[in-house]
Amino acid sequence: MLGAMESLDEDAKLMLRYRDGDGDAFSALYARHKGPLYRYLLRQVRNAGAAADLFQEVWSRLIATRSRYEARAKFATYLFHIAHNCTMDFFRRDLRLHHAAHSNDPALQPSEPEVPEHQRPDGIAEFAEQQSALLAAVSALPQAQREAFLLHEETGLTIEEIARVTDVGIETAKSRLRYAVRKLKKSLASAQIPTIRPLQERRDLRATQLNAST
Amino acid sequence: MHPPDDLDEYLRGDSALSCQYRREPAPAPPAALDRRVLEVSRAARGAQTVHAAPGRAPYLAPLAFAASVLLSVALVLAIVFGPQKPKRVDDAPRVLRVAALGGLSQSAPLKRRLELYSSDPQAVRAPAAWLADIASLRRAGRLREADEEMRRFRNTYPGYSTGDPAIRP
Repeated sequence: MLGAMESLDEDAKLMLRYRDGDGDAFSALYARHKGPLYRYLLRQVRNAGAAADLFQEVWSRLIATRSRYEARAKFATYLFHIAHNCTMDFFRRDLRLHHAAHSNDPALQPSEPEVPEHQRPDGIAEFAEQQSALLAAVSALPQAQREAFLLHEETGLTIEEIARVTDVGIETAKSRLRYAVRKLKKSLASAQIPTIRPLQERRDLRATQLNAST
Repeated sequence: MHPPDDLDEYLRGDSALSCQYRREPAPAPPAALDRRVLEVSRAARGAQTVHAAPGRAPYLAPLAFAASVLLSVALVLAIVFGPQKPKRVDDAPRVLRVAALGGLSQSAPLKRRLELYSSDPQAVRAPAAWLADIASLRRAGRLREADEEMRRFRNTYPGYSTGDPAIRP
């Protein structure tokens, strides 16, 4: 048992302590994961209000189910599996609303029904103007590929762990991440922004591009 | 010879793509959101404390068990060693009841008991009650006393028919 405890990651130990009533353990867990989780949600749903709602929902679910927690895997896979489920629920709700709004006009039916309303090209363009070329390219990825990329970047999850979080096979997760990386590299190359330039330099370049286009 | 895979290069962790992503601004949840989540956690722990109140029962369980055992033992001791209920002499044959009232034990000689019986003002009774006493004596195996009682009964009620074989000698 001791050996098993020693092999647990630090976060899993904190979660076990929280499960057993240690409130400080939750504060520590929250401090460690709030940033990656918030960015994952924000960049997944691309709407600050929705991201905030989902953020609170994810932590609320974790709190509500803490008594059933068992440290079978890295804690991040547990937390982000909840986040994945909340995000999928959000997309389904959003899609239903969109279908209900356009049910009388078949011409307005989305060509890709898995894409929610706020991810339509107009929304993406508006969202992209507020961020860098890389984040705009991330936003433009299909949802599943974007999720695989964000999970790896924000949490350092392996392909096996990404597969577990997103309830798909390892090959599927690998394929999604491979496509995401390939598209991002292509997008960045076409934007002619060197990937190693400092942020300020890229912002200046982007501002120049925007001024030129207007 | 396969060309280098984008994914393999990327998964090494030091790709230009990863480096660039890490240089991007890293928005964090607003402070109000932090407060809400931490408040949810505090409220949940408060509720857990309230719900955990019955959880103290396990600590009280041994005490409750011990109390039950003590009570059971006390009851058994009270039944076994407590004051015995005096035997109701009214259920015994009259000859025995009279002897008991006279302070004689059951081992007292029959003659002495019958003397008391005869001296008892209730000795002459209704035939049915007397015959019932005789039947009780016989059922108890006290045949000599029953015969003696029967003899007295016949002297007192010579014409009374005693059809019940339980009382006949």
